[in-house]
Amino acid sequence: MLAVFRKLNLAGISLESINNSYVNLQSIRWRKPRCVPTAKSKRFRVPQTPILPEDEQIEIKRLFNNYRNHLKSVRRYLINKHSKIEETTHDPEELLKIINQDFERCSAINDKWNAEQKILREQRIAKQLEDDIKFAKQRIELELEKEQQSLERVEEIVRKQKEASVDFITAENIDKAIDQALAQETDYNFAVDINGEKLHGRETRPEKSEKKVALKQ
Amino acid sequence: MLFPPASGVGVTGGFIIKAPKVIRLLRKGCTNRPFYHIVVAVSGNHQSRPVIEQLGTYDPMPNEQNERLVSLNFERISYWIGNGVTFSTPTAQLLGLAGYLPIHPTSYISAWRNRQKLEEEKAKELEISEQKEANASQ
Repeated sequence: MLAVFRKLNLAGISLESINNSYVNLQSIRWRKPRCVPTAKSKRFRVPQTPILPEDEQIEIKRLFNNYRNHLKSVRRYLINKHSKIEETTHDPEELLKIINQDFERCSAINDKWNAEQKILREQRIAKQLEDDIKFAKQRIELELEKEQQSLERVEEIVRKQKEASVDFITAENIDKAIDQALAQETDYNFAVDINGEKLHGRETRPEKSEKKVALKQ
Repeated sequence: MLFPPASGVGVTGGFIIKAPKVIRLLRKGCTNRPFYHIVVAVSGNHQSRPVIEQLGTYDPMPNEQNERLVSLNFERISYWIGNGVTFSTPTAQLLGLAGYLPIHPTSYISAWRNRQKLEEEKAKELEISEQKEANASQ
C-alpha cells in the first residue's frame, strides 16, 4: 500500500487528480497516511535521547523561564491594548441594561410566536370539536339502527311463538288432551327381523312365510 | 471548490471566534524551494485549509546578497497576540530575531552550539597544522 502511495508521490500525482471529474484541482502536500504502518527499515529503531551536560540543562531551563516571563508581560500589555474581551463593559448597571434589552427582544419574538401558535391552536381545536360531534352523531344513528334491528328480531320470535301456541296444552283443554292420549295408545317397542324390517309392538308376530321347498333330489 | 485567498478568509462564523488559534508558518514553495507564509489559523486545522489571515512571509533561502527575507505585519500580530493566539517555535524565533519579542531560547542554544562546533573545528585544524610543522622540523 505504501508503495502505491510512494509511486504516486514520485510521479507527482495526487489521489484527487486521478479522478478527472474534479473541475478545480487543488494539490495538497503529501503525507504518509495514518493507515500506513511504520516502514520496515524503521520498525525496530529506538530513537536516542540526547544527553545534555548538567550546566547546559540548567542554562536552558533558566533561558526558557526568563523567556516565558518576558512573553507573559508582553502578552499582558498587548491584551490590555487590543483584547476584545477587555473592551466589553463590566459596569453592573450597564450589564443589567444590556440583559434587559436582550430579554425584551427575546420576549417580543416569543410573544409573536405565541400569537401565531394561538391562532393555529384555536383552529385546530375547533376542527377537532366539529369532527367529534360529527362522529358522535354517526354513532347515535348506528346505535338506533341496531336497536331497531334487534327489536324486529325479537318481534319475529314472538310472532312465531304465538302461531305455535294454538297447539299448546292449557288448563282448559287438559282433560280433553288426556282423554285423547289415553284413547290413542302407542307402543314404541319394536324388533328387527333378518331382512331388516321393523316389527312394531310387543305382541306383533311376523307373518308366516311359505313352506320351504326341498332342493335335495 | 474554489481556491481560498492566500491572504486568508477572515474570521467567519461562530465556531472560529472561540476556537484556539495559532500564528504559524505555512509552506508555500515547491519541491526543493521552501517559502513560507506567516499566518493565523485555527490551531487544529490541516495546512491545506484556508487560513484566517496572512501576517507576513519568510523566505528561508538566501538571495543574491546572502539575505533571508522576512516580512511581518506587526500591527496585526500585536492585535492577534492581544486576542490570545499562541505561536509556533519557528515563528517565535523569527519574531525574536526581528526584535519584536524577547529572543527565543532555541536561537541562543543553536547559536552556542554552532560556536562550539566552529571552535572544535578550529582546534582540530590548529592541531593538524602543528603536527605538520613538527613533522617538517624533524
